[in-house]
Amino acid sequence: MYQGKSTLADKIALWVVILIAVSWAIFPFYWAIVTSFKQPGVIMTTPSLIPWLQFTPTLANWNDEFTQRWPEISRALGNSLIVSTGATLVAITLGTMAGYGLARFRFRRWKNKDMTMWFLSQRFLPPMATAIPFFLVMKFLNLLDTQLALILVNATFTMPFAVLTLRDVFKELPKEMEESAWVDGASHFQAFFRIALPLAAPAIAAAAVICFAFSWNEFLFALILTYRNAQPITVVIAGVEHTQGVQFWFVATRLLIAILPPALLALTAQRYIVRGLTFGAVKG
Amino acid sequence: MSNKLRSLLATIAMLGMVLALAAPQVMAAPPAQEPTEEAGMISGFPTTDPNEAKMALEAFNKADKGQPDPAWKGKKLTIAVYSGGQRGPISGPLYFWRNKFEELTGATYDIVEIPFAELREKIFTDLQTGAGTYDILINCSNYYGDYILNDWIIPIDQYFDDPRFPKWDRDSVAPAVARLMQWGDRWYGGNNDHDAQVLYYRRDIIEDPKWQAAFKEEMGYDMPVKMETWEEVLDIAKFFNKKDWNGDGDPDDGITLHLKVGGQGFFHFMALSAPYVVIPYPGDPPTKVTKYHNVYWFDPETMEPLINSPGHVRALEMLLALSKAGPPAMWGWSLGEAWADFLSGNAVMTFSWGDVGSLSQDPTQSVIQGKLGARGIPGTKHPYDREKGQFLDLEKPNMVGNQVGCSWHPVISKFSKEPELAYYFIAWQSTPEINHWNVAYGWTGVDPGTTYDWFPPYGTAKIEEYVAGGYNADDAKAFIGAYQDNFYNYPIFQNYMRIPGTPEMQEIWDVHLSEAVTGQVSPQEALDRTYDDWVRIVEDYGKDTLLKLYQESIGYQP
Amino acid sequence: MPERSRVKYLFVLPGIIWVLCFTIFPLLYSLRLAFFQARLGKSETFIWLENFRRALFDDYRFWNSIGVTVFFVACSVICTVSLGLALALLFNRPLRGQRLFRALFTTPLFTAPIALGYLGLTIFHEQVGAVNTALFALGIEHPPAWFSSIWPARIAIVLVDIWQWTPFCFLVLLAGLQSLPDEIYEAAWLDTSSSWDVFRHITLPLLTPVLFTVSILRMVEAFKMLDIPFSMTSGGPGAATQTYSFYIYLTGLRNFNAGYASALAYILLFVMLLISLSFFNRLRQIYE
Repeated sequence: MYQGKSTLADKIALWVVILIAVSWAIFPFYWAIVTSFKQPGVIMTTPSLIPWLQFTPTLANWNDEFTQRWPEISRALGNSLIVSTGATLVAITLGTMAGYGLARFRFRRWKNKDMTMWFLSQRFLPPMATAIPFFLVMKFLNLLDTQLALILVNATFTMPFAVLTLRDVFKELPKEMEESAWVDGASHFQAFFRIALPLAAPAIAAAAVICFAFSWNEFLFALILTYRNAQPITVVIAGVEHTQGVQFWFVATRLLIAILPPALLALTAQRYIVRGLTFGAVKG
Repeated sequence: MSNKLRSLLATIAMLGMVLALAAPQVMAAPPAQEPTEEAGMISGFPTTDPNEAKMALEAFNKADKGQPDPAWKGKKLTIAVYSGGQRGPISGPLYFWRNKFEELTGATYDIVEIPFAELREKIFTDLQTGAGTYDILINCSNYYGDYILNDWIIPIDQYFDDPRFPKWDRDSVAPAVARLMQWGDRWYGGNNDHDAQVLYYRRDIIEDPKWQAAFKEEMGYDMPVKMETWEEVLDIAKFFNKKDWNGDGDPDDGITLHLKVGGQGFFHFMALSAPYVVIPYPGDPPTKVTKYHNVYWFDPETMEPLINSPGHVRALEMLLALSKAGPPAMWGWSLGEAWADFLSGNAVMTFSWGDVGSLSQDPTQSVIQGKLGARGIPGTKHPYDREKGQFLDLEKPNMVGNQVGCSWHPVISKFSKEPELAYYFIAWQSTPEINHWNVAYGWTGVDPGTTYDWFPPYGTAKIEEYVAGGYNADDAKAFIGAYQDNFYNYPIFQNYMRIPGTPEMQEIWDVHLSEAVTGQVSPQEALDRTYDDWVRIVEDYGKDTLLKLYQESIGYQP
Repeated sequence: MPERSRVKYLFVLPGIIWVLCFTIFPLLYSLRLAFFQARLGKSETFIWLENFRRALFDDYRFWNSIGVTVFFVACSVICTVSLGLALALLFNRPLRGQRLFRALFTTPLFTAPIALGYLGLTIFHEQVGAVNTALFALGIEHPPAWFSSIWPARIAIVLVDIWQWTPFCFLVLLAGLQSLPDEIYEAAWLDTSSSWDVFRHITLPLLTPVLFTVSILRMVEAFKMLDIPFSMTSGGPGAATQTYSFYIYLTGLRNFNAGYASALAYILLFVMLLISLSFFNRLRQIYE
C-alpha cells in the first residue's frame, strides 16, 4: 500500500502537510472560540488571534447568552432536541425495517434494487421543490410552528439515509443464524428483533447519529415552518443578524453551542460515520 | 464484537448526556420568559445609567395613562418587531418600557424579534394563515398596501375617545409622517418612529480654514459649506477621501454608505435620487401632482414605472461616483458598519436616518460629539423634466423633502384577541412624553418627527431638554434643524410608495442597485432590469387595482 | 416458507409509504401550482406553461442563478474531491494519532452551515478578518473586500463550502484506499519504484468507483446550496451569489409567488433527474 522506507526529510514534509491540514480543519473553530471571548467593540477594530497577548478576553458574551438570551436559546435547544430525536426515531425505526426487508427478502414486482434506488433518488430531490407545498400542507393541517411539523419533514428527508446504510449492514450479517431461528419456529419479527437487530446495533447507532445531526442542522424548513414556539437552534443562529449588522460575537457563541451535541455524538460513533454518509456505498 | 458493543454503549451514553443537559430546558420550554431582572434595574428600567432612568421616570410620570381596564390583568400580548436587541433600535424601547406597562395594566407582552430580511415574510405568513401569533406588528410603513388589500389590520380611530386609553397628540406628528399611519380617512398606526434621511457631516473638518484653503487650492473654488447640491457633496467627498484628515496616520474616507443586499441600502438611492426626478408643478400650488410633476415611482396615468427615467439614471451615476469616494468595502456593509465608520471619526460625511444624529451623542459609540453638522438632503440644479424630455438647468437647486425609510410604528393585527389592550400599549407609547424620551435617546432608534421634538417656531422643544439628555447643544441644533428643514421647509416631497407589492418591488430594486454599484451592470441596465421586474409585479397584482391605489396614495386627481 | 411472502411487505412498506406520503403529495401539489399564476392570498389562474416560458426565456435572474449554482457545484466538487484525495493518500499509512486526526476532520461536517456562513463574515471581513490579516502579512497591500465584488464573494462562499465538505471526501476516500488489497501493491512495487506510476496505474483505477460515488454525492448536495449564501451574502453583491435554491426561496417564500416558484422548483427537479439518471446505472451496480 505504501512503501515502508522513508527518509527523515520525507517524514518532516509529511508532518508539515499534516499540520497544515489539521490547522485548516480546526482553524474556524479556534476563530469562533477566540471571537466568543472578545468584546464586541474589539472584534470590529483590530484583528487578533491570541487572547491575553493581543486582547483581553471577556466572558461577557457567554454571560449574555446564558442569562439574558438563555430563555430563547434554551427553548431553541429544547426544540432542536425534540425535533431531531423525534425525526431520528421515526427515520431509524422505519429505516431499519425497510433496510432489513430489502436485505433479506426478495421482491418480485418491484425488484429490491429498484426500491433501493428509489430511496436513493429521494436524496436527489431538492428540498426546495417541496418547501412551498409543505408550507401549505402544514398550514392546512394547522401544524405551522409546531415541533411535529419539523419532525415529519426531517424524518422524511433523513429516512433514505437510514434505509440505504442499514440495508448494507444487514446484507453483510450472516444469514444463517436467522435462518436457523426460522427453522426453530421463530417468526420473522422474532428473528429480526432477537438476532439481526442486536448484531446491527452499532451501525444503527451510527445511522441514528447522522440522522440526528442532519435534522439538528437543518435550516430551510425550520425557517419556513416555524415562527416562534417551535423555532430550533438554527433559526436562533440566524437571529444574530440585527438591523445594524451581524452580531459576530453571538455568531461565535451560538455556533459553538449548536455544534456540541451532534459533534459529541459523532465522535463516539466515528467508526460508522463514513459508511452512513455514503449510504454504505463505500465501506468505512 | 466487544468493540462494537463499546461504541454502542458510548453512543447511548452520549445521547443520554445530551438529553440530560437539555431536558430541563425542554420541560421549561413553553413558558420561556425573559429573565427576571434584578441587577441592572434602576427605578424599574433595565438600564445602568441613572440619568437615563431619571429622565424616563419623569416622562413616565408625566405621560397620560388613561384608565386601564382591570379586565386586562394577567393578559399577554405578543409584539413582532425587527431584531435590534434589548438595547437596540426599535426593539430596545419595548424591553425598556415593559415593566412599566406591567405596572399600569397588570398585563405584559412578549417581544418576538425577527431579522429584517425575514420580517415581512414572517408577518405576512402569520396574517395569511390567520394564525394570530402577533397582536402588535411594529411594521415598516410600506407594508400598508398589502394590509389594506387583504384587510389584515384594524383601524384605531374607534378608540380615540375612549377614556380607558391614554391621549396622544395626533396633530403634533409631522404631516408627512402622519399620512403614513393612515389609509384613506382612517388611522391604523400609532406614533413612534419618524424616518427621513438627511446629510451628516463633520462640521469641524468642513469649516476648518486649513481644509478650506487646501480645497480651494486643489479644486479651484471655495469649499461650499452649505452643500446645497449633490455635485458639491461629491467634490467634497472626493477631496477628503484617502486623505488623513483625522490625523490617525491612516488615509480616511470621504463618505460612508451601505448597500449590502438585504440591508436597506436602497433607501440611500431613494433619498439621493428624489431631486433628480421629482420636480414641482410650475403653477400653484407647487405640490400639485400631475403626470409629470411631483411623481417619483410610476406614471399616475398608465402605471408605467418611471424608475429608469433619465433622472433616475443620472442619480444612480451620482451614487456610483460617491461610492468611489469612500471605502470600497462599503457595498458589503450593513447600516451598523456604515454608521460606525462615521461615528468613529473615519468619514467626513454620510446621509442616513436620525439614528446617526442621536448615536453621535453616545460617547460609547461616537468620538464626534460636538463636531456634528447636518442638513436636509441636498438637491441638484439639473433635474430631469419628463414633459420636456430634457435635463433642466436651474439657477437654484431643486430641493425635495423625503420620508425615506420605514417609520417603524405599531399596528394591530386583525387576528389579535386583545385589540384593546394592544391599543392601550400603542397609545401609551405614542404619548408626547414617552415618544419624546425615545427620540432623545439614540439607542432606541426612534427618530424625531413631532412638534415636541422641534425647536420653535416649528415646535415646543427646548435645547436644554436635549442637553439634559446628554446632547451637545450645537449638535442638537444641527441635527434637529436638518429634520425641521426636511419636514417643513422643503417646497415639495417625494411620494412614499406603499401600494401592495411595494416591499417586493423594493427588494428587487435593492438587488439591481447593488449590481450597478459593484460594477456588474451599467446604471441604465440596472434600472432597466428594475423596470422590467416592476412591470411584471404590477401585472401580477393587477394593473388597474394598483393604479387606483397608487393615485389615491399620492393624491393624483385624473 | 409461506409466511415470508406477506410478512416481507410489513418490513418495507411503512418506510415507503411514509416517504411517499410526504414527498409525492407535495410534489403533485407543486406540479399543479406550476401551471398557475398563484400568489398566496390571491385567486389562482390557470396559465398553461407561462411560468416555464417565463423562466426559460424571459428571466435573466433564472439564468443568473443557474450560472452561480453551476459554478459553485463545479468548484466545490472538484476542490473537495481532489483535496480529499490528496489528504487521504497522505494519511493512508500507519500514523501515530491517525484516529485523532480522523476525529478532528469529522467535526466540520457537523457544523450548522447557517452558522458557518455568519462565521465566514468575520473570517473574510475586509479589515479584521483572518484571511485578510494573513494576506496582509504575506505582503499583499490591498487584499480584496470580499463581499463587495462578484468573484471574491463567490470564492469566499466556495471556500467555506470546501472547508465543510473536504473532510467528508477525505474520510470516504481514505476508507476506499484502505479497502484496496495490499497484494496488488506489493506486486506493483516490484515493477516500478515511482510512486506516481503506482498511483496512476494502480490506485487511481481501483479507486475510481469510490471517487465516482463521492463526486456524485457531493454534487447532489452542492446543487441544493442555500444556507451559506443566505447567511453570508444574502445573495449579493447584486445577485452574484444567489443560488438557484435561494432564488426559489425568495420567489416563493419571501414574495409569496407560489406558482412561479413551483415552476422553478420543477425545473430544478428535472435537471437533477437528468443528472441522476446518467449516474444511476453505475449506482445500480453498487446496490445489486
